Amino acid sequence: MVELLLIDGKYTRKIELDAKALGKLKKFKTLAVYAAVQFSSGLQSILAQLKKECITVVSSKPARTKEQFQILGCDVYHENMHLQENVDAYLYIGDGRFHPLALVFQQRGQKFKEVFMYDPIANALAILTEKDIDAILKKEKASLKLFLMKRRIGVLLTTKPGQLQFKASLALLKKYPEKEFYFFLDNTLNSKNFENFPFIEVWVNTACPRIGLDDAVYMKQPLINLMDALEAEKKLSGV
Amino acid sequence: MYDLELEKVVLHIQKKKTKRVLLQLPDGLKPEAQKIVQEIQKKTDAQVFIWLGDCFGACDFPLGLEGLQIDLVIQWGHNTFIKELGW
Repeated sequence: MVELLLIDGKYTRKIELDAKALGKLKKFKTLAVYAAVQFSSGLQSILAQLKKECITVVSSKPARTKEQFQILGCDVYHENMHLQENVDAYLYIGDGRFHPLALVFQQRGQKFKEVFMYDPIANALAILTEKDIDAILKKEKASLKLFLMKRRIGVLLTTKPGQLQFKASLALLKKYPEKEFYFFLDNTLNSKNFENFPFIEVWVNTACPRIGLDDAVYMKQPLINLMDALEAEKKLSGV
Repeated sequence: MYDLELEKVVLHIQKKKTKRVLLQLPDGLKPEAQKIVQEIQKKTDAQVFIWLGDCFGACDFPLGLEGLQIDLVIQWGHNTFIKELGW
């Protein structure tokens, strides 16, 4: 058996908000703070800065993470965030957009709060809003409608052990007995291969949920995530 | 800028007598691969491979490594992934 050794790759420099960034955050009373694992254990200075400005900081340990403040790219469902408090905005510490976009996705169906991204390397504060995922949400809505209407569904399973969700996918059979489900297996999912199976009308992704969001918007064929397929009617009615 | 914990990595390989190791790095740390390989090869007898493609998290573990007799995968930039039923 292959052993796995995980190294956080912790950021070694002091993480602090610059005056400009702090100035923009001052207007909020309560901020939910999250970070990538490289930064999540080095937030003491930022937390002290926010406290000094009388900003209440809250956070959580989302379902698949190991520690408080940490966020993963797959944290795209609000219930998985385990965040108890109402917040005025989110603050993400780290570089890139992959993780902070999860904070935007997890607000689908919720009253939207802005997501601020502070990059400690560039000392830059940027903002993500609902507009950043507008095209993705439109495509998702259309695909959900098609899923409910169509009969022949392709279920995509990955052989990656961390992302394999065959057992969870069986709930589709129970929930939609009138549909025909075809189960497809691959290591890395590539939508080019969909063309070889023209009888499939809608695809359901059971692997990383970012495939059904960020990637699905570029696919010709309709593709939705398993958890959204299982709640398609509820999602479309906005409940 | 990032703590690669190379001392820990080398000690782990020496202790486990690892023969073949695969390194997986998130995109931002991929340029550090040269330094990591050189350090491992200087201090251990392990053959080192570098994963070319994406590695989005600890959930993203490559398959088929047994064929190459890789006995250790080291991922940087990730920690324990707690798998649950569904997402």
